[in-house]
Amino acid sequence: MEGRPLDEQELVGQARGGDARAYEVLVRRYQDLAFRTACVIAGGSADAEDAAQEGFVKAWYALPRFRAGSPFRPWLLTIVANEARNRRRSGRRQDDLALRVAEDRPSGDAAPSPEAAALATEQRRLLLAAMGRLGEHDRQVIACRYFLELSEAEMAAALGCRPGTVKSRLSRALDRLRAVLAEQGAAAAPTTLPGGDR
Amino acid sequence: MSRRELDLDRALADLAASLEFPPTPDLAAAVTARLDQDPVAARPARGRRWLGGLTGWRRLAVAGLAVALLAVAVLAASPGTREAVARRLGLRGIGVELGGPPPSTATTTSGGRLDLGLGERVTLEEARRRVSFPVLVPHTGGLERPDAVFVSEVVPPGGRVDLVWRARPGLPASGFTDAGLLITEFRGQTTPEFIKKVAVAGQVEFLEVDGEPAYWFSGEPHFFTYRDSAGTFREEQTRLAGNTLIWQRGELTLRLEGELSKEEALRIAESMR
Repeated sequence: MEGRPLDEQELVGQARGGDARAYEVLVRRYQDLAFRTACVIAGGSADAEDAAQEGFVKAWYALPRFRAGSPFRPWLLTIVANEARNRRRSGRRQDDLALRVAEDRPSGDAAPSPEAAALATEQRRLLLAAMGRLGEHDRQVIACRYFLELSEAEMAAALGCRPGTVKSRLSRALDRLRAVLAEQGAAAAPTTLPGGDR
Repeated sequence: MSRRELDLDRALADLAASLEFPPTPDLAAAVTARLDQDPVAARPARGRRWLGGLTGWRRLAVAGLAVALLAVAVLAASPGTREAVARRLGLRGIGVELGGPPPSTATTTSGGRLDLGLGERVTLEEARRRVSFPVLVPHTGGLERPDAVFVSEVVPPGGRVDLVWRARPGLPASGFTDAGLLITEFRGQTTPEFIKKVAVAGQVEFLEVDGEPAYWFSGEPHFFTYRDSAGTFREEQTRLAGNTLIWQRGELTLRLEGELSKEEALRIAESMR
């Protein structure tokens, strides 16, 4: 992605040359991204921590094969996401997207009234719950796009698919999410979704 | 975008803003600590290609540090597969031969023998005296005393110990010999990415034993190439042709073979001390 600090390539170059301190800087810079991506793919946060850590260690060993000048993030995410998938497959506990909606963090502009804040929180919970009812792949592609804000190349890397297919995957997943929401809305009292999702 | 699409788009962006991921652990510290422990990692990867890297490693390995273990799962013994595996490893240039049918050394024709072509048969106590590392044994399921112990002091440097248990209830015979369980221990280093590179789908699973990397190979005979503590490439094959668990315990590499389930293998591995 454009707009990254210029020294990423320098750091990668130094790390490739064997500078473990340069690599540590890279790890620190991308540990949030790697850990959260692993959360999305692996489910539980313990597995995600394992996966991200192992991914960084393997990426270090794989650095000689990193093509200089190519973007580092998708390359790293490929490795981390593979680790995360391995752990998910190995059938350990999977407490699914270990994500919570923050109680008291208004996302809007001016401070809303307590009632409005509660409604907004409730709406977000419903949306997250609806995502929980999607299949694994749908959930992951939506999370990569919206929660991790990955680029298409990065989404492809994280999901292990071809970049050309990312858009259509996302659009199909959103269609299904919409269907789940419609179903949910029909089941729940209509007042719980004021305006937002119609 | 339609109105509906925009609404959902906005709702998801809004959700994302108020979403709480679990706190990110201090991966930088953990990763750095792990790399610091690894003598190879501390003087890393040089050269643009595999061979360049290996040449550098060969030099470093003279320092007598345990380097790498590489495990290869060969789906079939066909030359095509072997070629494919070798290509994926990028190792053709250095003449490491991979694959092939289960070796004849794996089998003994006479019934009732535990001799797997493993080296000199000794007592457990003797083996402990002759190798340069503490020999670990399982502490579960009555496996504290192996039925046979073999020691090889020459290859790899530091020695190697093979512990063999006779087939019994819970330890089915391997199909080749009377042995039901074989555990091999030597000083060497597993390097996950080597294994990763040859992980034929479904054949290798990445696990942990006591927090250290472990690899579970199921189904087919396997070959291993590893670099020993003097830096030499060596080839090894599994002998029982059953399932295999390879794991790391400090500077030791341990390998467990038998017709065991993954859970049974892990239970035994975790009991080793």
